[in-house]
Amino acid sequence: MKPLQQDDDLFRMLVERVKDYAIFMVDTTGYVTSWNEGAENIKGYTADEIIGKHISVFYTEEDIKSGEPELHLKTAKEKGRFENEGWRARKDGSRFWEEAIFTALYNTEGKFKGYSKITRDLTERKRAEEKLRDANKELAFQNEVKEKRAAELIIANKELAFQNEEKEKRAAELIIANKELTFQNEEKEKRAAELIIANKELAFQNTEKEKRASELIIANKELAFQNIEKEKRAGELTSANGKLKKGEDAIRKLNKELEVNLTQIIDVNQELEAFSYSVSHDLRAPLRAINGYAQMLEEDYGKSLNAEGVRKLGVIMENAKKMGLLIDDLLTFSRLGRKQVQKSPINMNKLVESVLIEISKTIQYKTTLKITELKPASGDYSLLYQVMMNLISNALKYSSKVETPLIELASEDNGEEIIYSIKDNGAGFDMRYVDKLFNVFQRLHTTAEFEGTGVGLAIVQRIIKKHGGKVWAKGEINKGAEFYFSLPKK
Amino acid sequence: MKNDEVEILLVEDNPDDAEMTIRALRKKNLSNNIIHLNDGAVALDFIFGTGQYEGRDISKKPKLIMLDLKMPKVSGIEVLEKLKSKDSTKTIPVVVLTSSKEDPDIQKCYKLGANSYIVKPVDFDAFQNTIAELGLYWLLLNQPII
Repeated sequence: MKPLQQDDDLFRMLVERVKDYAIFMVDTTGYVTSWNEGAENIKGYTADEIIGKHISVFYTEEDIKSGEPELHLKTAKEKGRFENEGWRARKDGSRFWEEAIFTALYNTEGKFKGYSKITRDLTERKRAEEKLRDANKELAFQNEVKEKRAAELIIANKELAFQNEEKEKRAAELIIANKELTFQNEEKEKRAAELIIANKELAFQNTEKEKRASELIIANKELAFQNIEKEKRAGELTSANGKLKKGEDAIRKLNKELEVNLTQIIDVNQELEAFSYSVSHDLRAPLRAINGYAQMLEEDYGKSLNAEGVRKLGVIMENAKKMGLLIDDLLTFSRLGRKQVQKSPINMNKLVESVLIEISKTIQYKTTLKITELKPASGDYSLLYQVMMNLISNALKYSSKVETPLIELASEDNGEEIIYSIKDNGAGFDMRYVDKLFNVFQRLHTTAEFEGTGVGLAIVQRIIKKHGGKVWAKGEINKGAEFYFSLPKK
Repeated sequence: MKNDEVEILLVEDNPDDAEMTIRALRKKNLSNNIIHLNDGAVALDFIFGTGQYEGRDISKKPKLIMLDLKMPKVSGIEVLEKLKSKDSTKTIPVVVLTSSKEDPDIQKCYKLGANSYIVKPVDFDAFQNTIAELGLYWLLLNQPII
């Protein structure tokens, strides 16, 4: 028996030294009774720590709650053996994947003595398996995706197939178009041939043009020569221009001088007007005194004067009055110098009518007036009124001594101007002195014959000239006089 | 003659014209209360109670002023301007006397508010008639707005 005993010891040592497997014994109620190195390696307990403890310490809390340890032992007892894999707890609380085999142990008499348990740590393998499974799942998912994609590709294929058909149709059309292009090419070649012919024609024309160009070169030379001539002429013109400019400067200088002169003339004119006004104004006062005192003398002492004394007083008064008239006429004449002509359309018939009404207020006449419808005038009403007043008054005055005085008024349109005429059958005048008629203070009759100041016709001439017209006269002694004046239409 | 009886104030520097004017007025019995002053400065003194007329009761105003335009020192225009610019004197009728109808001052007179003007004619009869008519018109026919 001894050797056998020895074998038993060896075997126990073998078991105890196994490092990769946990091999230990459990009693009938599940308490650990032996322990080896492998068990210590895998589960972390030393033999001293674990012997006598229940196997449930190897299980997770969840497994303990669901009664796994008891179930495993029971199954192993009933079936003699129970194999199992699962997550178990180490001493330090970490988990590992255990492959375990429980074996029910019986002694030789067949009495149940407990269990043996052999365990392997398969955590690495388990992890590898899980990885593999995850990888498989991924692959499965990828497969699905690929299948979907495949389905999509099938649809896309169909679409492509359709497009292919379309392209084939189009290709067929292109073939037709190609044929058309080929035809057109042929046409172009024909046209090219024609162009070659045309080119030859152009080449011929070019030659012609070259000939013409050489002719133009000759013509250009001629023009260049002419240009030189023109430049010479331009030089001459420039110097002529210089001379003209000098002339112009001289003219400008003269113009300035004239302007200065004109200003001086205007100044002198104004001075003269002021002078004539002032003179006539101041001349009236002594005249008024002469006349007034003569009359006072006559009124107060007339009775103590004889007839000759009264007559002489009368002469004094007459002359004073006459000088007053002269001064009035002179004033009117000088006023015309500064009056502006304000033109407007004038009905000359009405103007003459109002002149005659005015005259009839102071003079009684027995004259026959013959007025032919007068054409309208363009002029200054008050000035032309003065003209007609003077001319008609003159005509009345100088015809007053004939037996049947006659005055004729008429007008005539010569296109650019209207000519008015006043004729009488009175005293007339000597044509030798016609030039003197229109001068101030010039008279062709004595005061004894006809009264007057010699200013009336000067006024007429001044007014008509201001209108841009002319005055002239015809006459014959004792046959009458004709006075004319013209007025521009505009 | 007392100042407060003045009816016509004649302002005329030419003594001959003044005499003829007064004679014309006298003929129409208008010369009783006439005062003749021979220049514009004295006229202003009289009207406004200054200078030689200092202390004159200026509420006694002439009923008509006959004013010659052409006078030395203060002209008729200046007198007229002063008269018409003062409320106290602008209602006094003023007849302007001038030697010529061409006088450029005539328009100015009307603008300043002269009531009439007379051109002193060379013809004495015409002169007398005009003066007398105007004197009558302003003194007897025209009631002053005083």
